[in-house]
Amino acid sequence: MKKTRGGQAAILLVCLILGLALASQFKNVQNVGGSVSLQRTQELTSEIQKLNQEIAGQQQLIMDLERMLHEYENAAKDDGDFNDTMYKELERSRVLAGLTELEGPGIIVTIDVVKINSWYDESTIIRNVYHDDLLLLVNELNAAGAEAISINDERIISTSEIRNAGDFIVINTNRYSTPFVIKAIGNPDTLEASLKLLGGVADSLGEELEIKIQREEKLKVAKFNGYLQFRHAKPVQ
Amino acid sequence: MWLPLLGIIIGIVLGMVLPFSVPVAYSSYMSVALLAALDSVFGGIKSHLEDQFETDVFLTGFFGNAVLAAGLTYIGDRLDVPIYLAAIFVFGSRLFQNFALIRRYLLQRLKKKPNTATNNEE
Repeated sequence: MKKTRGGQAAILLVCLILGLALASQFKNVQNVGGSVSLQRTQELTSEIQKLNQEIAGQQQLIMDLERMLHEYENAAKDDGDFNDTMYKELERSRVLAGLTELEGPGIIVTIDVVKINSWYDESTIIRNVYHDDLLLLVNELNAAGAEAISINDERIISTSEIRNAGDFIVINTNRYSTPFVIKAIGNPDTLEASLKLLGGVADSLGEELEIKIQREEKLKVAKFNGYLQFRHAKPVQ
Repeated sequence: MWLPLLGIIIGIVLGMVLPFSVPVAYSSYMSVALLAALDSVFGGIKSHLEDQFETDVFLTGFFGNAVLAAGLTYIGDRLDVPIYLAAIFVFGSRLFQNFALIRRYLLQRLKKKPNTATNNEE
């Protein structure tokens, strides 16, 4: 076997390369989580479809109930002067509670992650968007006199939560991920200025996230789509 | 005989320790190239056992097959033709063939050994 010493060196070298490649591929597959089987994919797809149907059904229910409510209100309005003021009061309460879609001048703030190119991965992000970033922005907008705020068309009302849940942020019990679009109705100058203060929220968040602020002469803020009920709290007599 | 195993083990350990990894986007090409490389190594072991081992054939086969397999997969991806299936089929079946031959040679050698214990030591 002496004459194939060069051959043995070649085998060793080649196997070294093979081992290196194997290991890097191992790591890759582990990072991605391996391939998902076709059957599992189909299972999950059908589950999503089922849930989507369920959501559509529930939304239909909400719409039906709202229409009924409107009919009652209209019937009450037709009854006379007293009821007319009652109706106006009701409408005002609904606006204040965030149960109606509103429109007016304001700003749209878009928050997205910043992607950087590193040598092994094209989509490395500096950092994710966390719930406190959104809370800071909403807080600042409220302080600047925003009259209606929505994040990804989820109206922020008195009971709205903004919290992390894994990689998502839950707003009004619905899950969202980047990009986040905050719409706020109010004086565009004041709103924009409040965010763009030197050392303000947009400044500090803008170091690691992409934040775009856009004025709008007329924008629509969606209404609260959930279900409001107080079970424990009662008005003090 | 133990050189390939030693090489692979050292390579895997090195690969796990070093922060080197193939981009995820090229993972599919890498896997086909790996299969081709694995086939070449088995082929090399087989020809070694047959005493027909030639270094240049082995080396060109190793790199050539890997590059060709990855290249074909890439072209297949561009043309939407799953050519990688051909690579997997060919290299996969050759892998098993080579392994069967290696097993046979080793078994033969094992059977012969008690009779010819004095000469023929590796």
